[in-house]
Amino acid sequence: MAGTEELIDELSDLALFADLARPELAGVAHTLEEEWYADGQRILREGFSGTGFYILLEGEVAVRIEGQERARLRRGAFFGEAAILLGEPPGADVVAAGRVRVVHVAGPALHEFLMRHPNVMFRMLQEQTRRLRSANRWAR
Amino acid sequence: MTMTVAERAALLSRVTLFAGLPEASLQALAELAGEAEFGDGDAIVLQGQVGTGLFVIVAGAARVVRGGEELDRLGPGDYLGELAVIDRMPRMASVFAVGPTTCLALASWDLFRRVDGDPELVHSLLRGLALRVRHLSEHHSH
Amino acid sequence: MGEVDARPFPPGDYPLVVVGSGPGGIQVSYSLRRLGVDHALISADEAPGGMFRRFPFFQRLLSWTKPYAPVPRGSRAYERYDWNSLIGEEPSHRAIQPEFMDGTSEFPSRPEMEAQLAEFVRRAALPIRYGCLWEATRRDGDRFVLETSDGEYRCGLVVFAVGVAEPFTPEMPGRELVAHYVDTRDPETYAGRRLFIVGKQNSGFELASGLLHWASRIVLASPRPAKLSVETNSLAGIRARYVQPIEDRFMGGGVYILNASIEGVERAGDVLRVRTRATDGGMDLAIEADEVIAATGFVAPLRDLPALGVATFGPSRLPAQTPYWESASLAGIYFAGTINMGSPGLKKNGVAGTGAVHGTRFNARILAREIAERHFGVVAPRPALAPRDVVGYLLEEATDAPELWNQKGYLARAVLFGADGPYDEGIVPLQAFVDGSGPDGVAIGLEGDSEGVIRPAAYVRRKGAVSEVMLDPDPLNEFRGSSDGRARLTAALEGLLR
Repeated sequence: MAGTEELIDELSDLALFADLARPELAGVAHTLEEEWYADGQRILREGFSGTGFYILLEGEVAVRIEGQERARLRRGAFFGEAAILLGEPPGADVVAAGRVRVVHVAGPALHEFLMRHPNVMFRMLQEQTRRLRSANRWAR
Repeated sequence: MTMTVAERAALLSRVTLFAGLPEASLQALAELAGEAEFGDGDAIVLQGQVGTGLFVIVAGAARVVRGGEELDRLGPGDYLGELAVIDRMPRMASVFAVGPTTCLALASWDLFRRVDGDPELVHSLLRGLALRVRHLSEHHSH
Repeated sequence: MGEVDARPFPPGDYPLVVVGSGPGGIQVSYSLRRLGVDHALISADEAPGGMFRRFPFFQRLLSWTKPYAPVPRGSRAYERYDWNSLIGEEPSHRAIQPEFMDGTSEFPSRPEMEAQLAEFVRRAALPIRYGCLWEATRRDGDRFVLETSDGEYRCGLVVFAVGVAEPFTPEMPGRELVAHYVDTRDPETYAGRRLFIVGKQNSGFELASGLLHWASRIVLASPRPAKLSVETNSLAGIRARYVQPIEDRFMGGGVYILNASIEGVERAGDVLRVRTRATDGGMDLAIEADEVIAATGFVAPLRDLPALGVATFGPSRLPAQTPYWESASLAGIYFAGTINMGSPGLKKNGVAGTGAVHGTRFNARILAREIAERHFGVVAPRPALAPRDVVGYLLEEATDAPELWNQKGYLARAVLFGADGPYDEGIVPLQAFVDGSGPDGVAIGLEGDSEGVIRPAAYVRRKGAVSEVMLDPDPLNEFRGSSDGRARLTAALEGLLR
């Protein structure tokens, strides 16, 4: 549990957790697993099953499809939820661009995590909406 | 055309956005949904207007238009307006009925009220949007 | 068995120094020695065993050694059923644990485990410098200097096998009133006392189980709900041995389990008062107790390594490691034993490599081979395979290989396809195979999902791109004769089996 207080502070700064009071945030911090990646390490692998949900705490990641970089994500961004929600392997690699620290929810635990924290899920929904719009396609 | 709540629920369950939603949640949505009839050429939604609802086409057809250009055609089971319902931003395209068209309409305030106490509904919306993102990126890469 | 120098490895210059004489340090030193890699092994302790010289507190391990298994004792396949013996190359070095068990349980007692480790060291005549405490570390050009209680060791490489053993109690008001798990006294001294245990992981539940018939009331609290291993279908969660307190709770037997954060502990007359805040929407409480014990885990005792450039992460402050257990931020520093949890692997379905002996002993052998090849030019043989035998060999390994069974989703058998045909690359970290470059090849491992279903997973690398091939499970985990597995692997290796 070392450093959980620091993790709670870090999480409280992220838009995703903006609606949570500190005790609930403590529950979240104890549920999330921290991970660390070196430059170039893959976090999500295109076409591999059994993936997880990630929230970026430190550093940048590159989203790559068939080796081509499509996007960069920064602190506070999340990824991996689509593959779990759809029950399909990720359609892209997510690769650490420099040193990266993330927190992680295992795929099988994501549904329970989201049900337990509906405010977090709603924030994800809003972000997803924003992503769809900024994909600069027509939105019905 | 007047549908029973059960018929509306059955229709909603076939919308990808609500796929996998528990029966109780579907039932609640079905009770909130109203029916809207449009004549040929009527605007279902207009580009630039703030969205107030989500529409599911029950019968008929519609065309999606932006800046005078037709982007897509929609038919029974297709839905529109889900982004505007979530973020309450202006519509990015207009949709016009093609021939007499019936829609199920869910008002954004009703949907929002449900969202608060129904995490499964939010989950299914999240899943529905993930599906759309996936389709978009597949189109991109092909 | 040769005579062992009582105080080998005096301070001085060595190509490599291994620090620690628990299972990790012993295994890596043994395996390095078999490969002829010159190194020193130093330890602060007076005898081998590491954490097993003291823990687990209630003296019974969580890891089995089955005296009677479906395969012969001493065979390679038996290592899957014997989680505690270190792995030796010679018959007398193998399957030592069952020789040291009294027949009352398939889980060895702590002293039996300690005796097994000491016996392994004795039979292998493994020299260890005891009573030599690593105190500080510094760089000397591209080499390292370890300052110890005996003097300075200069070396090009270090393997730290120092466990995840430093007691940790989180910051909170009144922390000085809280004992740690490691300070637990003899059980009878808790007779009639009201206990408050902070932490709902295995160590918290181990204490609660062991003190159930002594303590008058036990409260367990931490922010996150407890998970059971039989629910998660993995070693993540409360082990079956320790679920008794949960049963006592729902039968109203004086055990209470709270999802709450601990806001502080204060003295109230003769007793302690613990203030809790519910994390699950429940009530905030002030709970009286005679004793508060933190079962809040351990951190890696890395001393000054972070200042030297070793990146750490997470609640146990584990050093971030490459798939071959080298510091991800400081080359030349390696890790063995429980601390390998800092290289969790692919974590498919959330399953990380285990930090327990049954898995890390295999990591240590692979690490020794990697160090020998990368730094000492000692290259292990890669036996050639006939193309027609490859698929059968992979399925054979999925059925029997102890490395694959004990490090699911983490270690894999790799076969590579060279200019002269297929050859056995050996057991490798799966992550190194799927993320690494190299010739076309295939690696097979075993993976468990959240439903507890185990299936073989093959990864095929062609021109640098790796694809996953999940095979079907088998009710008896007998993959050898699987016609489906054979067909799928053969198809996946199309064009390579020449």
